[in-house]
Amino acid sequence: MIPRYQRILFWSLAAACLLMVAFLLRGYGVARKRLGAPANDAPIAAPTTASTEDITLYLANDADASITPATESLSLPQDPAIRARTLLDHLLAAYARPNSAHPLQAGPAVDDVFLLPDPNPAPGEQPGQLAVINLSGGFVNNHPSGVQVEALTIQSIIGTLHAALPQVTTIRFLVGGQPHDTLAGHADLLHNYPATDTAAKPTPPTENQP
Amino acid sequence: MKPPFKPIAALLLTLLTAAQAQQPTPRTLIFLDPAHGGLDPGAHLPNNVLEKDLTLAFATRLRAQLSAAGFALLSTRDADPAVPFPTDQRAEIANHAHPAACLILHATSSGSGIHVITSSLSPNTLDDPHATIPWNTAQSASIPQSLALANEIGLALEHAKLPVILSRAAIRPLDNLICPAVAIEIAPLTPSDSDATPVSDTNYQQTVAKAITAALASWRSHLAAVGAQR
Repeated sequence: MIPRYQRILFWSLAAACLLMVAFLLRGYGVARKRLGAPANDAPIAAPTTASTEDITLYLANDADASITPATESLSLPQDPAIRARTLLDHLLAAYARPNSAHPLQAGPAVDDVFLLPDPNPAPGEQPGQLAVINLSGGFVNNHPSGVQVEALTIQSIIGTLHAALPQVTTIRFLVGGQPHDTLAGHADLLHNYPATDTAAKPTPPTENQP
Repeated sequence: MKPPFKPIAALLLTLLTAAQAQQPTPRTLIFLDPAHGGLDPGAHLPNNVLEKDLTLAFATRLRAQLSAAGFALLSTRDADPAVPFPTDQRAEIANHAHPAACLILHATSSGSGIHVITSSLSPNTLDDPHATIPWNTAQSASIPQSLALANEIGLALEHAKLPVILSRAAIRPLDNLICPAVAIEIAPLTPSDSDATPVSDTNYQQTVAKAITAALASWRSHLAAVGAQR
């Protein structure tokens, strides 16, 4: 003979189990309904229209070691430092596209760009700005190693920055916030680079050079 | 009686001429720097080849060719150094020896053909001969000679039917050298109509070494012609 208190306990537990099953089934149904519902495309915030502007990218080509200017339309922030960083990120992202003439790995490339008064302006010239480009450690670690390929990346950055920010006269590089000797074992990153037009196509050797 | 001055003077002149004729002509000194080494492996090339090993192997080939052509050679390394070998130390070795030409040897898997690189420093005319030359821009005084040397090597490589690109870059120790200096970077051959030739190919390296030797022989005769004009 089963004692009465045990029967009460059994039926109470059975009822609790049924309640939990019912709760779970209901929760499952609600979740399924929510996930299956189409995304809500109704506009909530008014769209912001950023005006685009023509910018010049100085694009490198490994095959002939040339740097060629190319014009693109891009919307850029107004603050010069953020503008420079956005521009360089856009430039270096272009090299990660398939069939790039100067292939680089995709990923964040520039952590910051700082614009400072140039401490050593060229004699007889208006004092300009020093751009300090802080490259990301990942970009440097994944950059192809070689004298020419590294020099082309540097020249591409310098030419693009010079075209967008003509007030910049000198460019320095940091990696992860620290001075770094080379880009990937070759191109000198401790060097202060003059900001100039770097568009170039190497000339072949000539017989009549003195 | 007059002492016989004339016969003695003639005898001394003959002896001096004979002594000068017996002295060996000083051989043109070439400085070779197989880049990287030790803890610095350089680029990681295909088939697990390290740039430091390839530059050393190529330097050995080039050294044999240059010795056979009568050049005196000074090399920064003929083995993999156990301790770090910074570029400043390599430049010091070259600058103490005053070679006729300095060649820095590199290899890469990027690009194609042979890249002959000159320093991107602006030429410094050095109007004041006693002016101090900063270490970081020491090469600026030799830029015209370095460009002429690069052109000479470029022509020889073209004659050997090898694709060549002459370019400029800021790299060490090139910027610290006071001799006519170029960096020679060997990249794979990637012709459109046939298979690619890797930088580790011995025939490819041998062809490049021969062309560089021919260029330096021509460079040596130009230097001799300039010396004779002075």
